[in-house]
Amino acid sequence: MITTPDLIESLVANAAPVRRLRPPVARAVGWLLFAALMLALLAVSHEMRPDLALRLRQPEFVIGVAASLATGVLAAIASFLLSIPDRSRAWLLLPLPALFVWVSTIGYGCLINWVSLQPGSLPFGDEAGCFALLVLTGVPLSLAMLIMLRYAALLAPTRVAISGSLAVAAVTATALSIFHEHDASAIILIWNFGTAVLLVALGGAFGRRMFSWVAYAGK
Amino acid sequence: MARELDWSIYMARAQAGDRDAYRRLLEDVAPYLRSIAARHFRNSGDIEDAVQEVLLTVHAVRHTYDPARPFGPWLVAIANRRVVDGLRRQGRSRAREVALETEHETFAAPEANYHEAASEARALRDAVEHLPPGQRDAIRMLKLQEMSLKEAAAVSGMTVAALKVATHRAVKSLRKVLGQDRRT
Repeated sequence: MITTPDLIESLVANAAPVRRLRPPVARAVGWLLFAALMLALLAVSHEMRPDLALRLRQPEFVIGVAASLATGVLAAIASFLLSIPDRSRAWLLLPLPALFVWVSTIGYGCLINWVSLQPGSLPFGDEAGCFALLVLTGVPLSLAMLIMLRYAALLAPTRVAISGSLAVAAVTATALSIFHEHDASAIILIWNFGTAVLLVALGGAFGRRMFSWVAYAGK
Repeated sequence: MARELDWSIYMARAQAGDRDAYRRLLEDVAPYLRSIAARHFRNSGDIEDAVQEVLLTVHAVRHTYDPARPFGPWLVAIANRRVVDGLRRQGRSRAREVALETEHETFAAPEANYHEAASEARALRDAVEHLPPGQRDAIRMLKLQEMSLKEAAAVSGMTVAALKVATHRAVKSLRKVLGQDRRT
């Protein structure tokens, strides 16, 4: 067992200059720009859904997309704030209002479309494309988030992972609403939100391990 | 407060690579961290472990400190985090392990069993105390104070022969009392 004075000496010997982190909000903006770039690339490669112009005239769709986008933005800001030791853990609550609106629109959509759901109409073919879209946006965004927040492994991994996953899930869901053509059936909406819940749950469960893995790989 | 301002300045310099400032900061901060850890751990080894964990974390995340903000809350947040981790680890290991404290150790060397020796000495003193007065004085003078028979005779006014008899009887009854104790 090393004594504390010896430990201090060895830490001092390793005290290379470090680059200070930019303010958390600036870093969140950086990540969001990356997310915007991803969405732009998808727009170029994927084409918008054909009925987008029509859907944009429906207030419930616009509110839903705006709410999921707001959830993504706020959750991203919250994650970067939470990853700094001296910021309040109450920042975890920042995305909640937007999340509430988003969940409400999904619930409303379910309620409205409940009748239109018929046994034969489950869009199975759709789900492969839907899944590909989720992976295409979700994976790079998660990786970027993980790398940018890797030192949170030493501080509050679970908290940061939950809000980080929420940010990724919300941005992914936004992408899904814009690019993926679907008749707002309950199944698709549940798919949409189910993926978000799954991502957040995975983040909460494995966030600590993922962060420490990336933190050690980065050293 | 002035101390905190110093820490903030030291940390800002340390981030730029100033080793002297960094050493000063860590040495300054260590006793403070020890006082935080001492609120949660009793074992001095656990306290020192927690202090070292905090120092390592401070080192690993020193780039997250913003000199525009106070240093104290930043440090305390890290320290609390590490203390909580330490308590969790302790809880886990307590469930499965029994820590071997110094009181549990015993060795063949007589020094290691000092407590037993001390209690035996007390038992002997009590036994001497309960002897009849003549025998007690004889034992005290001849065995404990290591007087010669002549000196003891001069001090007590007893004859040498009487002292010898008293000592003999005293040793006999002590052996009986202590021996009985040992057998039970």
